[in-house]
Amino acid sequence: MTLILALETSCDDTCAAVVSADGELRSNVISSQGVHDAFGGVVPEIASRHHLELANAVVDDALRRADATLDDVGLVAVTQGPGLVGALLVGVATAKAIAAARGLPLAPVDHLQGHIAANFLRIGADSGAGGIMAPPFVCLLASGGHTLLARVEQYDGFSVLGRTLDDAAGEAFDKGARLLGLPFPGGPALERLARDGDPHAFAFPIARNLDGLDFSFAGVKTSLLYRVRDLGPQDAAAHAADLAASFQHAIVEALALRCEQALEQTGLRRLAIGGGVAANGPLRTRLEQLAVTVGIPPRELCTDNAAMIASAARFVDAQPFPAYLSLDAYASGERALA
Amino acid sequence: MIVLGFDTATPATAVALLDDTHPAAAAELRHEPAAGERPGHASQLLALAAQLLATTGLRFTDVDRLAVGLGPGTFTGLRIGVATARALAQSTSAELVGVSTLHALALPAESAAERAGADFGVLAVIDARRGEAFAAGWRGGRAVLEQVALAPAKLARRVAEEGGSWLAVGDGALRFRDDLERAGCTIPTDGSEQHAVSARAVCRLALEAPQGTARDLVVPDYLRPPDAVLASPPKKPSS
Repeated sequence: MTLILALETSCDDTCAAVVSADGELRSNVISSQGVHDAFGGVVPEIASRHHLELANAVVDDALRRADATLDDVGLVAVTQGPGLVGALLVGVATAKAIAAARGLPLAPVDHLQGHIAANFLRIGADSGAGGIMAPPFVCLLASGGHTLLARVEQYDGFSVLGRTLDDAAGEAFDKGARLLGLPFPGGPALERLARDGDPHAFAFPIARNLDGLDFSFAGVKTSLLYRVRDLGPQDAAAHAADLAASFQHAIVEALALRCEQALEQTGLRRLAIGGGVAANGPLRTRLEQLAVTVGIPPRELCTDNAAMIASAARFVDAQPFPAYLSLDAYASGERALA
Repeated sequence: MIVLGFDTATPATAVALLDDTHPAAAAELRHEPAAGERPGHASQLLALAAQLLATTGLRFTDVDRLAVGLGPGTFTGLRIGVATARALAQSTSAELVGVSTLHALALPAESAAERAGADFGVLAVIDARRGEAFAAGWRGGRAVLEQVALAPAKLARRVAEEGGSWLAVGDGALRFRDDLERAGCTIPTDGSEQHAVSARAVCRLALEAPQGTARDLVVPDYLRPPDAVLASPPKKPSS
Protein backbone atom coordinates (compact mmCIF):
# COMPACT_ATOMS: atom_id res chain seq x y z
CA MET A 1 0.00 0.00 0.00
CA THR A 2 1.30 3.44 -0.85
CA LEU A 3 1.95 5.87 1.95
CA ILE A 4 1.41 9.60 2.49
CA LEU A 5 4.44 11.60 3.62
CA ALA A 6 3.61 15.00 5.12
CA LEU A 7 5.58 18.04 6.29
CA GLU A 8 4.42 20.84 8.57
CA THR A 9 6.58 23.92 9.29
CA SER A 10 4.05 26.70 9.90
CA CYS A 11 5.48 27.90 13.22
CA ASP A 12 8.35 26.67 15.38
CA ASP A 13 7.97 22.88 15.24
CA THR A 14 9.60 21.01 12.36
CA CYS A 15 7.28 18.07 11.70
CA ALA A 16 7.08 15.10 9.35
CA ALA A 17 4.77 12.11 9.45
CA VAL A 18 3.78 9.01 7.54
CA VAL A 19 0.15 7.91 7.31
CA SER A 20 -1.27 5.03 5.26
CA ALA A 21 -3.68 5.67 2.40
CA ASP A 22 -6.57 4.64 4.67
CA GLY A 23 -5.59 7.00 7.48
CA GLU A 24 -3.59 4.78 9.80
CA LEU A 25 -0.88 6.67 11.69
CA ARG A 26 2.53 5.12 10.95
CA SER A 27 4.88 7.76 12.36
CA ASN A 28 4.69 11.29 13.71
CA VAL A 29 7.97 13.15 14.28
CA ILE A 30 7.95 16.57 15.93
CA SER A 31 11.21 18.43 16.43
CA SER A 32 10.50 21.27 18.82
CA GLN A 33 13.13 23.89 18.28
CA GLY A 34 13.20 24.97 21.92
CA VAL A 35 15.35 27.98 21.09
CA HIS A 36 12.65 30.64 21.23
CA ASP A 37 11.93 30.63 24.94
CA ALA A 38 14.78 33.04 25.68
CA PHE A 39 13.22 35.55 23.29
CA GLY A 40 9.82 35.48 25.00
CA GLY A 41 8.12 34.21 21.85
CA VAL A 42 8.75 32.66 18.46
CA VAL A 43 11.28 34.60 16.35
CA PRO A 44 10.29 33.97 12.69
CA GLU A 45 13.84 34.23 11.27
CA ILE A 46 15.23 31.81 13.86
CA ALA A 47 12.33 29.41 13.27
CA SER A 48 12.95 29.46 9.51
CA ARG A 49 16.69 28.80 9.91
CA HIS A 50 16.02 25.81 12.14
CA HIS A 51 13.35 24.40 9.82
CA LEU A 52 15.87 24.38 6.99
CA GLU A 53 18.47 22.57 9.08
CA LEU A 54 16.02 20.01 10.44
CA ALA A 55 13.50 19.30 7.67
CA ASN A 56 15.34 16.55 5.76
CA ALA A 57 16.48 14.74 8.89
CA VAL A 58 12.96 14.86 10.30
CA VAL A 59 11.63 13.35 7.05
CA ASP A 60 14.27 10.60 7.23
CA ASP A 61 13.27 9.92 10.82
CA ALA A 62 9.54 9.77 9.99
CA LEU A 63 10.22 7.27 7.18
CA ARG A 64 12.49 5.15 9.38
CA ARG A 65 9.93 5.02 12.19
CA ALA A 66 7.29 3.99 9.66
CA ASP A 67 9.67 1.27 8.45
CA ALA A 68 9.41 2.78 4.97
CA THR A 69 11.49 4.51 2.32
CA LEU A 70 10.59 7.19 -0.21
CA ASP A 71 9.91 4.32 -2.66
CA ASP A 72 6.82 3.48 -0.57
CA VAL A 73 5.47 7.03 -0.74
CA GLY A 74 2.66 7.71 -3.23
CA LEU A 75 1.66 11.20 -2.14
CA VAL A 76 3.53 14.10 -0.53
CA ALA A 77 1.53 16.58 1.57
CA VAL A 78 2.53 19.91 3.05
CA THR A 79 1.06 22.77 5.05
CA GLN A 80 0.60 25.66 2.61
CA GLY A 81 -0.70 28.16 5.21
CA PRO A 82 -1.64 30.01 7.29
CA GLY A 83 1.43 30.60 9.43
CA LEU A 84 4.82 32.32 9.38
CA VAL A 85 5.44 32.64 5.67
CA GLY A 86 9.24 32.21 5.84
CA ALA A 87 8.78 29.07 7.92
CA LEU A 88 6.06 27.68 5.64
CA LEU A 89 8.25 28.24 2.57
CA VAL A 90 10.91 25.84 3.87
CA GLY A 91 8.34 23.06 4.16
CA VAL A 92 6.72 23.90 0.82
CA ALA A 93 10.08 24.01 -1.04
CA THR A 94 11.17 20.74 0.58
CA ALA A 95 7.91 18.90 -0.12
CA LYS A 96 7.71 20.14 -3.71
CA ALA A 97 11.28 19.04 -4.44
CA ILE A 98 10.88 15.61 -2.83
CA ALA A 99 7.70 15.05 -4.87
CA ALA A 100 8.99 16.56 -8.14
CA ALA A 101 12.17 14.48 -8.13
CA ARG A 102 9.99 11.36 -8.22
CA GLY A 103 7.09 12.67 -10.28
CA LEU A 104 4.76 12.18 -7.28
CA PRO A 105 1.56 14.17 -6.73
CA LEU A 106 1.49 16.87 -4.04
CA ALA A 107 -1.36 17.79 -1.70
CA PRO A 108 -1.26 21.35 -0.35
CA VAL A 109 -3.09 21.43 2.99
CA ASP A 110 -4.59 24.25 5.04
CA HIS A 111 -3.17 24.20 8.56
CA LEU A 112 -6.59 24.58 10.20
CA GLN A 113 -8.10 21.85 8.03
CA GLY A 114 -5.16 19.78 9.27
CA HIS A 115 -6.13 20.32 12.92
CA ILE A 116 -9.67 19.19 12.11
CA ALA A 117 -8.39 16.17 10.18
CA ALA A 118 -6.35 15.01 13.20
CA ASN A 119 -9.72 13.55 14.24
CA PHE A 120 -9.84 11.34 11.15
CA LEU A 121 -6.62 9.49 12.00
CA ARG A 122 -6.75 5.84 12.91
CA ILE A 123 -4.42 5.17 15.80
CA GLY A 124 -3.64 1.60 16.77
CA ALA A 125 -5.68 -1.52 16.11
CA ASP A 126 -8.74 -0.59 18.20
CA SER A 127 -9.75 2.58 16.36
CA GLY A 128 -12.63 2.26 13.95
CA ALA A 129 -12.58 3.10 10.26
CA GLY A 130 -13.84 6.62 11.06
CA GLY A 131 -10.86 7.49 13.22
CA ILE A 132 -11.23 9.44 16.45
CA MET A 133 -14.35 11.22 15.27
CA ALA A 134 -16.24 11.29 11.96
CA PRO A 135 -18.31 14.23 10.65
CA PRO A 136 -20.61 15.86 11.45
CA PHE A 137 -19.25 17.60 14.56
CA VAL A 138 -18.36 20.98 15.98
CA CYS A 139 -14.63 21.57 16.31
CA LEU A 140 -12.93 24.05 18.61
CA LEU A 141 -9.40 24.95 17.51
CA ALA A 142 -7.48 26.88 20.11
CA SER A 143 -3.75 27.47 19.96
CA GLY A 144 -1.19 30.25 20.25
CA GLY A 145 -1.97 31.37 16.71
CA HIS A 146 -5.62 30.49 16.15
CA THR A 147 -8.96 30.37 17.95
CA LEU A 148 -11.81 29.17 15.80
CA LEU A 149 -15.11 27.31 16.03
CA ALA A 150 -15.79 25.20 12.97
CA ARG A 151 -18.78 23.24 11.77
CA VAL A 152 -17.45 20.05 10.18
CA GLU A 153 -20.01 18.30 7.95
CA GLN A 154 -17.59 16.54 5.64
CA TYR A 155 -14.04 15.27 5.51
CA ASP A 156 -12.74 17.89 3.09
CA GLY A 157 -13.86 21.21 4.46
CA PHE A 158 -15.37 23.20 7.30
CA SER A 159 -17.36 26.37 7.82
CA VAL A 160 -16.34 28.97 10.37
CA LEU A 161 -18.92 29.54 13.11
CA GLY A 162 -16.82 32.01 15.07
CA ARG A 163 -13.27 33.19 15.53
CA THR A 164 -11.30 35.42 17.84
CA LEU A 165 -11.48 39.11 17.11
CA ASP A 166 -8.14 39.84 18.77
CA ASP A 167 -5.77 37.50 20.65
CA ALA A 168 -5.80 33.73 20.24
CA ALA A 169 -6.63 31.78 23.40
CA GLY A 170 -3.11 30.35 23.63
CA GLU A 171 -1.67 33.81 23.15
CA ALA A 172 -3.85 35.05 26.06
CA PHE A 173 -2.48 32.23 28.21
CA ASP A 174 1.09 33.16 27.26
CA LYS A 175 0.59 36.88 27.89
CA GLY A 176 -1.23 36.24 31.18
CA ALA A 177 1.59 33.95 32.28
CA ARG A 178 4.11 36.67 31.50
CA LEU A 179 2.16 39.17 33.63
CA LEU A 180 2.40 36.63 36.46
CA GLY A 181 6.14 36.29 36.06
CA LEU A 182 6.07 32.88 34.36
CA PRO A 183 8.43 32.00 31.49
CA PHE A 184 7.41 31.45 27.83
CA PRO A 185 5.58 29.31 26.77
CA GLY A 186 3.27 30.26 29.58
CA GLY A 187 0.20 28.05 29.09
CA PRO A 188 1.45 24.91 30.87
CA ALA A 189 3.20 26.96 33.61
CA LEU A 190 0.04 28.95 34.26
CA GLU A 191 -2.02 25.75 34.45
CA ARG A 192 0.39 24.33 37.05
CA LEU A 193 0.32 27.51 39.13
CA ALA A 194 -3.48 27.61 38.91
CA ARG A 195 -3.80 24.18 40.55
CA ASP A 196 -3.19 25.75 43.97
CA GLY A 197 -5.49 28.70 43.36
CA ASP A 198 -9.16 29.56 43.69
CA PRO A 199 -10.77 30.07 40.25
CA HIS A 200 -13.41 32.29 41.85
CA ALA A 201 -11.08 34.52 43.84
CA PHE A 202 -11.09 37.20 41.15
CA ALA A 203 -13.71 37.97 38.52
CA PHE A 204 -12.31 38.40 35.00
CA PRO A 205 -14.48 39.27 31.99
CA ILE A 206 -15.37 36.52 29.51
CA ALA A 207 -16.77 38.61 26.62
CA ARG A 208 -20.25 37.09 26.92
CA ASN A 209 -21.92 39.90 25.03
CA LEU A 210 -20.16 39.53 21.70
CA ASP A 211 -22.46 38.89 18.77
CA GLY A 212 -22.58 35.39 17.35
CA LEU A 213 -19.90 32.88 18.20
CA ASP A 214 -16.82 35.08 18.06
CA PHE A 215 -14.27 35.27 20.85
CA SER A 216 -12.29 38.09 22.42
CA PHE A 217 -9.40 37.64 24.82
CA ALA A 218 -7.94 41.14 24.86
CA GLY A 219 -10.26 42.21 27.70
CA VAL A 220 -9.36 39.40 30.07
CA LYS A 221 -5.67 40.04 29.50
CA THR A 222 -6.01 43.80 30.16
CA SER A 223 -8.11 43.06 33.21
CA LEU A 224 -5.36 40.84 34.60
CA LEU A 225 -2.80 43.57 33.89
CA TYR A 226 -4.84 46.10 35.92
CA ARG A 227 -5.50 43.62 38.71
CA VAL A 228 -1.80 42.85 39.09
CA ARG A 229 -1.00 46.56 39.05
CA ASP A 230 -3.75 47.44 41.58
CA LEU A 231 -2.70 44.70 43.97
CA GLY A 232 0.89 45.88 43.96
CA PRO A 233 3.91 43.61 43.75
CA GLN A 234 3.60 42.04 47.18
CA ASP A 235 -0.10 41.19 47.11
CA ALA A 236 0.05 40.08 43.48
CA ALA A 237 2.83 37.64 44.37
CA ALA A 238 0.89 36.41 47.39
CA HIS A 239 -2.18 35.83 45.21
CA ALA A 240 -0.37 34.56 42.11
CA ALA A 241 -2.06 31.12 42.23
CA ASP A 242 -5.52 32.68 42.69
CA LEU A 243 -4.86 35.12 39.85
CA ALA A 244 -3.73 32.27 37.58
CA ALA A 245 -6.71 30.08 38.49
CA SER A 246 -9.22 32.91 38.00
CA PHE A 247 -7.63 34.00 34.72
CA GLN A 248 -7.62 30.42 33.41
CA HIS A 249 -11.22 30.00 34.55
CA ALA A 250 -12.28 33.04 32.50
CA ILE A 251 -10.62 31.73 29.33
CA VAL A 252 -11.97 28.20 29.80
CA GLU A 253 -15.48 29.55 30.44
CA ALA A 254 -15.32 31.78 27.37
CA LEU A 255 -14.31 28.79 25.21
CA ALA A 256 -16.88 26.43 26.80
CA LEU A 257 -19.69 28.98 26.51
CA ARG A 258 -19.16 29.36 22.78
CA CYS A 259 -18.87 25.59 22.29
CA GLU A 260 -22.18 25.13 24.10
CA GLN A 261 -23.82 27.81 21.95
CA ALA A 262 -22.35 26.31 18.77
CA LEU A 263 -23.70 22.86 19.62
CA GLU A 264 -27.11 24.35 20.39
CA GLN A 265 -27.17 26.40 17.23
CA THR A 266 -26.13 23.55 14.92
CA GLY A 267 -28.06 20.83 16.71
CA LEU A 268 -24.91 18.69 16.60
CA ARG A 269 -24.14 16.41 19.52
CA ARG A 270 -20.45 15.91 19.03
CA LEU A 271 -17.55 18.18 19.81
CA ALA A 272 -13.89 17.79 18.86
CA ILE A 273 -11.07 19.98 20.09
CA GLY A 274 -7.63 20.66 18.69
CA GLY A 275 -4.70 23.04 18.99
CA GLY A 276 -2.24 23.38 21.85
CA VAL A 277 -4.85 24.75 24.26
CA ALA A 278 -6.68 21.41 23.97
CA ALA A 279 -3.98 20.09 26.31
CA ASN A 280 -5.36 22.29 29.12
CA GLY A 281 -6.78 20.00 31.82
CA PRO A 282 -9.54 22.27 33.17
CA LEU A 283 -10.72 22.96 29.58
CA ARG A 284 -11.00 19.22 28.88
CA THR A 285 -12.88 18.65 32.13
CA ARG A 286 -15.21 21.56 31.49
CA LEU A 287 -16.02 20.47 27.92
CA GLU A 288 -16.69 16.91 29.02
CA GLN A 289 -19.49 18.34 31.22
CA LEU A 290 -21.34 19.61 28.15
CA ALA A 291 -23.30 16.34 27.91
CA VAL A 292 -22.22 15.62 24.34
CA THR A 293 -19.63 13.27 22.87
CA VAL A 294 -16.25 14.96 23.14
CA GLY A 295 -13.31 13.85 21.00
CA ILE A 296 -9.84 14.93 21.98
CA PRO A 297 -6.91 13.55 19.99
CA PRO A 298 -3.77 12.60 21.95
CA ARG A 299 -1.71 15.63 22.91
CA GLU A 300 0.92 15.15 20.15
CA LEU A 301 -1.89 15.26 17.58
CA CYS A 302 -3.46 18.40 19.13
CA THR A 303 -0.37 20.58 18.93
CA ASP A 304 1.21 21.27 15.53
CA ASN A 305 2.12 18.01 13.79
CA ALA A 306 2.41 16.58 10.29
CA ALA A 307 0.22 13.51 10.86
CA MET A 308 -2.83 15.77 10.77
CA ILE A 309 -1.59 17.22 7.46
CA ALA A 310 -1.24 13.72 6.01
CA SER A 311 -4.72 12.91 7.30
CA ALA A 312 -6.19 15.99 5.62
CA ALA A 313 -4.31 15.15 2.41
CA ARG A 314 -6.47 12.03 2.00
CA PHE A 315 -9.43 14.29 1.29
CA VAL A 316 -8.00 17.19 -0.74
CA ASP A 317 -7.48 17.16 -4.50
CA ALA A 318 -3.81 16.31 -4.91
CA GLN A 319 -2.03 18.11 -7.74
CA PRO A 320 -0.27 15.81 -10.21
CA PHE A 321 3.35 16.48 -11.25
CA PRO A 322 4.18 19.09 -12.61
CA ALA A 323 1.08 21.17 -11.74
CA TYR A 324 2.39 22.16 -8.30
CA LEU A 325 5.87 23.39 -9.23
CA SER A 326 4.82 27.04 -8.83
CA LEU A 327 2.95 26.46 -5.57
CA ASP A 328 3.57 29.24 -3.03
CA ALA A 329 2.78 29.48 0.70
CA TYR A 330 0.13 31.82 2.15
CA ALA A 331 0.51 33.61 5.46
CA SER A 332 -3.01 34.43 6.57
CA GLY A 333 -6.65 33.56 6.19
CA GLU A 334 -8.12 30.10 6.22
CA ARG A 335 -9.41 28.04 3.35
CA ALA A 336 -12.83 27.34 4.78
CA LEU A 337 -15.85 26.44 2.68
CA ALA A 338 -17.53 29.51 1.22
CA MET B 1 28.35 14.38 -15.32
CA ILE B 2 25.02 16.27 -15.42
CA VAL B 3 24.98 19.27 -13.07
CA LEU B 4 21.79 21.15 -12.21
CA GLY B 5 22.67 24.45 -10.54
CA PHE B 6 20.69 27.36 -9.20
CA ASP B 7 20.95 30.56 -7.24
CA THR B 8 18.26 32.47 -5.31
CA ALA B 9 20.41 34.84 -3.24
CA THR B 10 19.40 37.93 -5.21
CA PRO B 11 15.87 38.87 -6.35
CA ALA B 12 16.53 36.86 -9.54
CA THR B 13 15.92 33.13 -9.85
CA ALA B 14 18.64 31.55 -12.02
CA VAL B 15 18.80 27.89 -13.05
CA ALA B 16 21.35 26.20 -15.32
CA LEU B 17 22.02 22.71 -16.61
CA LEU B 18 25.54 21.67 -17.50
CA ASP B 19 26.87 18.49 -19.05
CA ASP B 20 30.60 18.33 -18.33
CA THR B 21 31.25 16.75 -21.74
CA HIS B 22 29.98 20.02 -23.34
CA PRO B 23 30.48 22.63 -20.60
CA ALA B 24 30.30 25.55 -23.05
CA ALA B 25 26.79 24.49 -24.09
CA ALA B 26 25.34 24.93 -20.59
CA ALA B 27 21.77 26.26 -20.77
CA GLU B 28 20.39 28.81 -18.34
CA LEU B 29 16.87 30.05 -17.53
CA ARG B 30 16.20 33.12 -15.41
CA HIS B 31 13.35 34.98 -13.80
CA GLU B 32 13.87 38.63 -12.91
CA PRO B 33 11.11 40.33 -10.94
CA ALA B 34 9.78 43.52 -12.55
CA ALA B 35 10.42 46.79 -10.70
CA GLY B 36 8.41 46.75 -7.47
CA GLU B 37 7.58 43.05 -7.84
CA ARG B 38 8.62 40.55 -5.15
CA PRO B 39 11.22 37.89 -5.97
CA GLY B 40 9.72 34.81 -7.61
CA HIS B 41 11.95 32.20 -5.95
CA ALA B 42 9.11 30.13 -4.44
CA SER B 43 7.06 29.92 -7.61
CA GLN B 44 9.86 30.00 -10.22
CA LEU B 45 12.74 27.82 -9.05
CA LEU B 46 11.41 24.28 -9.49
CA ALA B 47 9.31 25.28 -12.49
CA LEU B 48 12.38 26.65 -14.32
CA ALA B 49 14.43 23.60 -13.35
CA ALA B 50 11.77 21.22 -14.67
CA GLN B 51 11.47 23.28 -17.87
CA LEU B 52 15.22 23.20 -18.42
CA LEU B 53 15.37 19.45 -17.88
CA ALA B 54 12.40 18.88 -20.18
CA THR B 55 14.03 20.75 -23.08
CA THR B 56 16.94 18.30 -22.96
CA GLY B 57 14.78 15.24 -22.38
CA LEU B 58 16.18 14.71 -18.88
CA ARG B 59 14.51 14.10 -15.55
CA PHE B 60 15.51 15.08 -12.02
CA THR B 61 16.74 11.52 -11.48
CA ASP B 62 19.25 11.97 -14.33
CA VAL B 63 21.08 14.73 -12.45
CA ASP B 64 24.42 13.61 -10.98
CA ARG B 65 25.27 16.74 -9.04
CA LEU B 66 23.10 19.51 -7.58
CA ALA B 67 24.80 22.87 -7.21
CA VAL B 68 23.30 25.64 -5.10
CA GLY B 69 24.36 29.19 -4.32
CA LEU B 70 24.69 29.49 -0.55
CA GLY B 71 24.66 33.27 -0.51
CA PRO B 72 25.11 35.63 1.07
CA GLY B 73 21.88 37.30 0.01
CA THR B 74 18.19 37.45 0.79
CA PHE B 75 17.46 35.09 3.69
CA THR B 76 14.16 33.73 2.41
CA GLY B 77 15.53 33.32 -1.11
CA LEU B 78 18.55 31.40 0.19
CA ARG B 79 16.34 29.08 2.17
CA ILE B 80 14.13 28.31 -0.82
CA GLY B 81 17.22 27.49 -2.89
CA VAL B 82 18.97 25.40 -0.25
CA ALA B 83 15.75 23.61 0.85
CA THR B 84 15.03 22.74 -2.79
CA ALA B 85 18.57 21.47 -3.41
CA ARG B 86 18.66 19.43 -0.21
CA ALA B 87 15.26 17.87 -0.87
CA LEU B 88 16.11 17.05 -4.51
CA ALA B 89 19.27 15.35 -3.25
CA GLN B 90 17.25 13.50 -0.61
CA SER B 91 14.78 12.27 -3.20
CA THR B 92 17.35 11.25 -5.84
CA SER B 93 20.86 9.91 -5.54
CA ALA B 94 22.45 13.17 -6.73
CA GLU B 95 25.45 14.68 -4.95
CA LEU B 96 25.02 18.08 -3.35
CA VAL B 97 27.53 20.94 -3.61
CA GLY B 98 27.07 24.42 -2.17
CA VAL B 99 29.01 27.31 -3.68
CA SER B 100 29.53 30.95 -2.78
CA THR B 101 27.05 33.19 -4.60
CA LEU B 102 29.66 35.98 -4.56
CA HIS B 103 32.18 33.68 -6.22
CA ALA B 104 29.63 32.70 -8.88
CA LEU B 105 28.96 36.42 -9.44
CA ALA B 106 32.68 37.13 -9.87
CA LEU B 107 33.52 34.09 -11.98
CA PRO B 108 32.59 35.29 -15.52
CA ALA B 109 34.53 38.57 -15.09
CA GLU B 110 37.40 36.71 -13.44
CA SER B 111 37.62 34.23 -16.33
CA ALA B 112 37.53 37.10 -18.85
CA ALA B 113 40.36 38.88 -17.01
CA GLU B 114 42.39 35.69 -16.98
CA ARG B 115 41.85 35.08 -20.69
CA ALA B 116 42.85 38.67 -21.48
CA GLY B 117 45.86 38.43 -19.17
CA ALA B 118 44.52 41.56 -17.48
CA ASP B 119 45.78 42.43 -14.03
CA PHE B 120 42.64 43.50 -12.22
CA GLY B 121 40.80 41.99 -9.31
CA VAL B 122 37.07 41.25 -9.37
CA LEU B 123 34.96 42.53 -6.50
CA ALA B 124 31.55 40.84 -6.26
CA VAL B 125 29.05 43.04 -4.42
CA ILE B 126 25.47 42.13 -3.50
CA ASP B 127 23.03 44.66 -2.08
CA ALA B 128 22.51 43.49 1.51
CA ARG B 129 19.75 46.07 2.24
CA ARG B 130 19.85 48.26 5.33
CA GLY B 131 22.59 50.30 3.72
CA GLU B 132 25.12 47.47 3.60
CA ALA B 133 26.80 45.34 0.96
CA PHE B 134 27.85 41.71 0.95
CA ALA B 135 31.19 41.56 -0.86
CA ALA B 136 34.22 39.41 -1.62
CA GLY B 137 37.18 39.87 -3.98
CA TRP B 138 39.30 37.63 -6.22
CA ARG B 139 42.52 38.36 -8.06
CA GLY B 140 44.48 35.96 -10.25
CA GLY B 141 42.31 33.03 -9.18
CA ARG B 142 42.86 33.71 -5.46
CA ALA B 143 40.38 35.01 -2.89
CA VAL B 144 41.96 38.22 -1.61
CA LEU B 145 38.98 39.74 0.18
CA GLU B 146 36.97 37.38 2.38
CA GLN B 147 33.17 37.55 2.41
CA VAL B 148 32.03 40.53 4.45
CA ALA B 149 28.88 42.52 5.21
CA LEU B 150 29.91 46.17 5.31
CA ALA B 151 28.61 49.70 4.87
CA PRO B 152 29.68 50.99 1.41
CA ALA B 153 32.14 53.55 2.80
CA LYS B 154 33.92 50.86 4.82
CA LEU B 155 33.95 48.50 1.86
CA ALA B 156 35.46 51.27 -0.29
CA ARG B 157 38.20 51.75 2.32
CA ARG B 158 38.96 48.02 2.35
CA VAL B 159 39.23 47.99 -1.44
CA ALA B 160 41.50 51.07 -1.44
CA GLU B 161 43.73 49.44 1.22
CA GLU B 162 43.97 46.31 -0.90
CA GLY B 163 45.28 48.41 -3.80
CA GLY B 164 45.50 47.51 -7.50
CA SER B 165 42.73 47.98 -10.01
CA TRP B 166 39.30 46.42 -9.45
CA LEU B 167 36.27 45.58 -11.51
CA ALA B 168 33.19 45.64 -9.27
CA VAL B 169 30.10 43.67 -10.34
CA GLY B 170 26.67 42.86 -8.87
CA ASP B 171 23.52 44.72 -7.82
CA GLY B 172 25.49 46.04 -4.85
CA ALA B 173 28.11 47.55 -7.16
CA LEU B 174 25.30 49.42 -8.91
CA ARG B 175 23.65 50.48 -5.67
CA PHE B 176 26.91 51.76 -4.19
CA ARG B 177 28.50 52.84 -7.46
CA ASP B 178 29.57 56.28 -6.14
CA ASP B 179 31.45 54.95 -3.11
CA LEU B 180 33.14 52.18 -5.08
CA GLU B 181 34.12 54.37 -8.03
CA ARG B 182 35.68 56.85 -5.61
CA ALA B 183 37.75 53.94 -4.28
CA GLY B 184 39.02 53.32 -7.81
CA CYS B 185 36.72 50.48 -8.89
CA THR B 186 35.60 50.20 -12.50
CA ILE B 187 31.93 49.27 -12.72
CA PRO B 188 30.26 48.03 -15.93
CA THR B 189 27.20 49.92 -17.18
CA ASP B 190 23.91 49.35 -15.40
CA GLY B 191 22.46 46.94 -17.97
CA SER B 192 25.55 44.73 -18.20
CA GLU B 193 24.90 41.05 -17.63
CA GLN B 194 28.07 40.95 -15.53
CA HIS B 195 25.91 42.27 -12.65
CA ALA B 196 23.71 39.16 -12.61
CA VAL B 197 24.55 35.98 -10.70
CA SER B 198 24.98 33.30 -13.34
CA ALA B 199 23.69 29.82 -12.60
CA ARG B 200 26.15 28.51 -15.21
CA ALA B 201 28.90 29.82 -12.95
CA VAL B 202 27.27 28.02 -10.01
CA CYS B 203 27.47 24.79 -12.04
CA ARG B 204 31.08 25.42 -13.07
CA LEU B 205 32.20 26.08 -9.48
CA ALA B 206 30.40 22.95 -8.31
CA LEU B 207 32.18 20.92 -10.97
CA GLU B 208 35.49 21.86 -9.34
CA ALA B 209 34.52 20.15 -6.07
CA PRO B 210 36.14 16.70 -5.87
CA GLN B 211 32.97 15.27 -4.31
CA GLY B 212 29.59 16.19 -2.85
CA THR B 213 29.02 17.55 0.64
CA ALA B 214 26.95 15.78 3.29
CA ARG B 215 23.41 17.10 2.96
CA ASP B 216 23.01 18.38 6.48
CA LEU B 217 26.18 20.47 6.17
CA VAL B 218 24.80 22.40 3.19
CA VAL B 219 23.37 25.53 4.82
CA PRO B 220 23.14 29.17 3.72
CA ASP B 221 25.92 31.66 4.41
CA TYR B 222 23.70 34.27 6.03
CA LEU B 223 26.68 36.39 7.15
CA ARG B 224 24.28 38.12 9.52
CA PRO B 225 22.62 36.95 12.72
CA PRO B 226 18.81 36.96 12.84
CA ASP B 227 17.13 40.13 14.03
CA ALA B 228 16.16 39.08 17.50
CA VAL B 229 16.80 40.35 20.96
CA LEU B 230 16.71 38.31 24.10
CA ALA B 231 13.57 39.04 26.09
CA SER B 232 14.05 40.86 29.33
CA PRO B 233 13.33 38.28 32.00
CA PRO B 234 9.62 38.34 32.87
CA LYS B 235 8.85 40.77 35.66
CA LYS B 236 7.97 39.00 38.87
CA PRO B 237 4.97 40.60 40.53
CA SER B 238 7.15 40.58 43.64
CA SER B 239 9.99 42.59 42.11
